[in-house]
Amino acid sequence: MWRNGRHDKSRNTLLRSVPRNRRWFYATALSAAVVGGVLAVTLPFWALSDKPLPAKVTEDLPAGAMQAKATTSCLECHEARIILQQRLSKGAWAKEVDKMVKWGAVVDANDHDALVDYLSTNFSPDQPAYEAPRTANDRSTSEKSAGKPSK
Amino acid sequence: MSSRREFLKQMSGAALATAAAPAMLTWALPLPQGQGVEVPGEDGMILRSFRFVDLESPVEYFNSWLTPVPHFFVRNHMHEPSELDADDWRLTVGGEVEKPLTLKLTEFAKFETHAVVNTLECAGNGRSLQRPQVPGIQWGKGAVSTARFSGPRLRDVLQRAGVKPSGKHVMFRGLDEVPGKVPPFVRSIPIEKALDSDTLIATHMNGAALTKHHGFPARALVPGWVGAASCKWLTEIKVLENEFVGNFMSPGYRFPNQPVKPGDAVKPEDTHPLTALSVKSVISGPGDGANIRNGKVDVHGAAWAGEADIVKVEVSTDGGATWTAAKLGREQAHYAWRLWNYEWKPKGGDYTIQSRATDSQGRTQPAAPVWNPSGYLYNAVDQVKVHVA
Repeated sequence: MWRNGRHDKSRNTLLRSVPRNRRWFYATALSAAVVGGVLAVTLPFWALSDKPLPAKVTEDLPAGAMQAKATTSCLECHEARIILQQRLSKGAWAKEVDKMVKWGAVVDANDHDALVDYLSTNFSPDQPAYEAPRTANDRSTSEKSAGKPSK
Repeated sequence: MSSRREFLKQMSGAALATAAAPAMLTWALPLPQGQGVEVPGEDGMILRSFRFVDLESPVEYFNSWLTPVPHFFVRNHMHEPSELDADDWRLTVGGEVEKPLTLKLTEFAKFETHAVVNTLECAGNGRSLQRPQVPGIQWGKGAVSTARFSGPRLRDVLQRAGVKPSGKHVMFRGLDEVPGKVPPFVRSIPIEKALDSDTLIATHMNGAALTKHHGFPARALVPGWVGAASCKWLTEIKVLENEFVGNFMSPGYRFPNQPVKPGDAVKPEDTHPLTALSVKSVISGPGDGANIRNGKVDVHGAAWAGEADIVKVEVSTDGGATWTAAKLGREQAHYAWRLWNYEWKPKGGDYTIQSRATDSQGRTQPAAPVWNPSGYLYNAVDQVKVHVA
């Protein structure tokens, strides 16, 4: 009962939430689907929208030789954003990796230096800051209901 | 959200019945709501981490004296308890006491309820603004919020157990779940602060039962102190002869005794545990980078000072050459922030607006951050850049 489950919003509720100025968009898209059949349906729908892609619930680590091993070592306990937002020197990354190994992260001794290289190359102080997404707007959560534990 | 996209991927290229298209579309098209990550009970917060949950309040939310719970920042070191049941929950009180206690939630009714409006701030708030950067959650300006917390006084519960003269510190343990071999998030506060009449075992926030993110069913509330003192999902209180020994007392949550050159290492013996918050103000509007029309501009924000009171907030619009007092908001309480505003009538141009708070202990926000290896207690003069058309 304490899982961070999604709200069970019905599709109708979602449709009603579409502002009037976007309804033409849905109407057009619906017509296209009906007329064009399979062709229309297979269009990449996301590309039709000027809205950004919805944020991912949890992030992935960047591509690289150590991506898979870093994912296994680090993301068992926490998600990738904890790493993505850091901007640290190589020395500081080495300290973090050693701390995490002490705290239970499994890092093969042969992979240690490569992992520090991977982290300090991707998340060095000269990289632009990580842009954190927002959580969804939840206007149904009024002050009155906010006191109840979430489902 | 990603499940929708994956669903689409699977479906694209497949021969789809036209009749199925309308239903598909409602899922396929990005909807105006739901662009962000859904975290039940939270509204439009900055997602610093989903697992474990760390959420920052955008500064534009600093416009109400009491922060609505869905806008109140969330800081977790560990995973939230997977099982919490108010009926099964117990709080033990032990250690250096005459009569150890085990309390059920319903037994809190035996104690007088006390309410404290408190501005709670994470010690690491503003960490992302430190240079050189330091490790930790890269909070911007919004790991701070204000609520009316209520519940029994910790003092009354400790007195029921009878603190022995040997009891000098009070340890809190929560029910958060520790991954791997991570040390548990356990800390202690000195007995003097524990016996303060405003230190609570809070069960409510803004008049409603605590939500899970905020420590249901009960949390410590150590007013005016760094948020880390206010242990959530409280399950054990232990009176100790000495300060608790553990990662989150040392090396965690310590501050250098002397000023440090940015980037320098600090020896553990040259540090002390963090206690009360610093004096600080934040500009919540206009936003950084805003384009403003010529005319009256309402510069506004919040200012707080831990255990001290805000006596003055000043605003500069000329790079700090001259400062003018802002008007302090009517609502106030000892441990709570003051909202403030300043009516500014600029001519066209580019400006840096700054705010600077001063408290009843004579402390004033410094012009430059006080750097330290973990980036705690950032409280430099705040600033936003705006363009006036």
